[in-house]
Amino acid sequence: MHAERRGLPIALAALILGAGIAAARAEEPIKIGFTTEQTGAWSFFGASCVAGLKLALPQVNAAGKRPIDFVILDNQTQPAQAAAGSRNLDVQSKVLALSGPTSSDTSLAVYGYAEQNKVPFVVPVAAFPQLTKPGSRYTFRLEPDAAGWGYAIAKFVESRKPGAKLALIYSDYALMRAITAGLKYQAPKSGLKIETDIAFPQGANDATVQAAQVVAAAPDYVIVIGAGGFDMTITNQLLDLGIKTDQIIHPFGITTQVKNWGKRSAGSFYGTFFDSNLANLTPEGKKFVADFTAQNNRPPSYIENYCYVTAQIIRQVLDANPAAADDREKFRDAMSKLNTKESTSGIPIVFDKNGARKEYIFFMQIKDVDEKGYQASQVFYTEWDPEVIPVYELVK
Amino acid sequence: MSNAHTIILMSMLSSGLMLGVIFSLVASGVTIIYGSIWMPNAANGQFFLLGALLTWTMTVQFGLPPAAGALLVIGLSVAFSYLLEILLIRRFYDVPNRNISYFVLSLGLTQISAGLLSITYGVWSDQFQVPPLVRGVTFIGPFPLANTRLAAFAIAIVLLALLFALLRFHKYGRALRAVFQNREAAALRGVDVRAVYRLSFVLGNGVVFAGGILFAYAYSFDLSAAWTMAITAFAIMIIGGPGSVLGALVVGLVFGFTQAIVSTFASPTIAAFSYLGAMLIILLFKPSGLFAR
Repeated sequence: MHAERRGLPIALAALILGAGIAAARAEEPIKIGFTTEQTGAWSFFGASCVAGLKLALPQVNAAGKRPIDFVILDNQTQPAQAAAGSRNLDVQSKVLALSGPTSSDTSLAVYGYAEQNKVPFVVPVAAFPQLTKPGSRYTFRLEPDAAGWGYAIAKFVESRKPGAKLALIYSDYALMRAITAGLKYQAPKSGLKIETDIAFPQGANDATVQAAQVVAAAPDYVIVIGAGGFDMTITNQLLDLGIKTDQIIHPFGITTQVKNWGKRSAGSFYGTFFDSNLANLTPEGKKFVADFTAQNNRPPSYIENYCYVTAQIIRQVLDANPAAADDREKFRDAMSKLNTKESTSGIPIVFDKNGARKEYIFFMQIKDVDEKGYQASQVFYTEWDPEVIPVYELVK
Repeated sequence: MSNAHTIILMSMLSSGLMLGVIFSLVASGVTIIYGSIWMPNAANGQFFLLGALLTWTMTVQFGLPPAAGALLVIGLSVAFSYLLEILLIRRFYDVPNRNISYFVLSLGLTQISAGLLSITYGVWSDQFQVPPLVRGVTFIGPFPLANTRLAAFAIAIVLLALLFALLRFHKYGRALRAVFQNREAAALRGVDVRAVYRLSFVLGNGVVFAGGILFAYAYSFDLSAAWTMAITAFAIMIIGGPGSVLGALVVGLVFGFTQAIVSTFASPTIAAFSYLGAMLIILLFKPSGLFAR
């Protein structure tokens, strides 16, 4: 009897303690390691990404939900630092998943760590094809791969002028090489002819001679892919030498780029995956643009959008699969089955067996650029299966 | 000759001259500092970039007219260099083999500067462009040349001429050359060697900043411009002969033209390392540099 009397309070205490632990666990934040470029050559992209991510947090961590803590770590735009940071986030911070890099080089470093150590990795912005090469199991990428962009550029030009002559003028970086690889593969299939192919080394700062060579080749379109400030130098030198704005196609354009190309570039084209000028933005997309512009004094581009969406899809996966919050394998499985849409643009997000999504691109034409921003209109949209061209063979 | 060929030829000439005068300016600044205080300034690329970025701040962010912005940046470079000289540089004047100490010090400055520029300018944009010094385009035959680049070129030529005249004919220039050649003898002849050191540091950096300012008016740029210029300026100084401003002028122009010609007839990628290859070959035959004293 005495034993029974003593046993009851102990059992009650154990029950209360167990419930407390469970409740505490439920309130414990789910950690996502966000290793991104806060310093170094890519700091603008890292800072833009974090700005987009932060806009999503009030909604992602709404009252009543188990909070998600994005542990932000600077990778200094150094692959070695990105790999070391991933280890730190995995071992020390015990994150559920990794995310954050906006450069292909740092993403590849995180990819290596994530795949080897079975840590789910959600890539917001990095386009090098090998990030979703066959056999990838833990990596999921939001941005279309760069070789695919090249494919899409060929489709765009084909739609505007069948049989067009092209000139390529670009900085010799991995991203640009991947874009041109896709374009060179698809161009003959689309009936296009590449007349001039000029690559600049990293650190180049003058393109006068090459702009003159492009003019001499008399192409219908010039594909311009400069890195950083050199992008504007090439663009200006082409325009100085008489290339018309509607002959220039930039495979990608973010807000600062378009503003820097300036008024004189009105008429030229750029590719993008999200733009404040898109006609079909969802109500949430419009609010995202308005809120971001109010906070940052410029509209967002696809970088900010992908980082905003990254936070949202992680929330969505965890809401639908609460058990995945404390189990990496379950989280990976849930990510691989994700079938949703970008809340901002309504574009579907579905990952294939390698973690690449059904890809797409918008081509915009610049209408005007002023102090406050720019106006552009959508002139082309296409989507494609990631393996419509042999992306993983074209770019090793 | 067809118009297309004329345009390519003119673009090669303009590109060679434009790059050449900027290389010459920056290398002259580097060699003045090395020749006087024995400081191989590895931070020259950062100072060059700082000149360009401050020009962007003055003209784009503060909305100053281009010429006023440029003059203000030169003024800031003088204040910056004096401060640096007082805080750091002068402490090494009496250190034996101080060139090694200076080199390590300037590497540290490079890292600090790169970090600071990255967390400030790096979050505003990944590309920078300043308003033109002069708007419009001038046609040389069929070849159009942006007036802002013509103006930047003309200013660079004037600055190089002034620098040359200063070093050749002015009292300070003679004192500086005396210190270049033999600082002990110069001191015995009544030259205030420390004052020459200080002036050389300020003047040399001012010339490097001027190179950065003119570069910003001629080209768009990003934070990586520092690294390319740092290596190029050192290469020019070594080939021209450390301490030789004439060497920096001549070799800077040769580098500019080499880059333009090789990129026309071979490729921009080969052009990027062609002059470094030329540097190695010249050093095989004349290790002290072409214009060494």
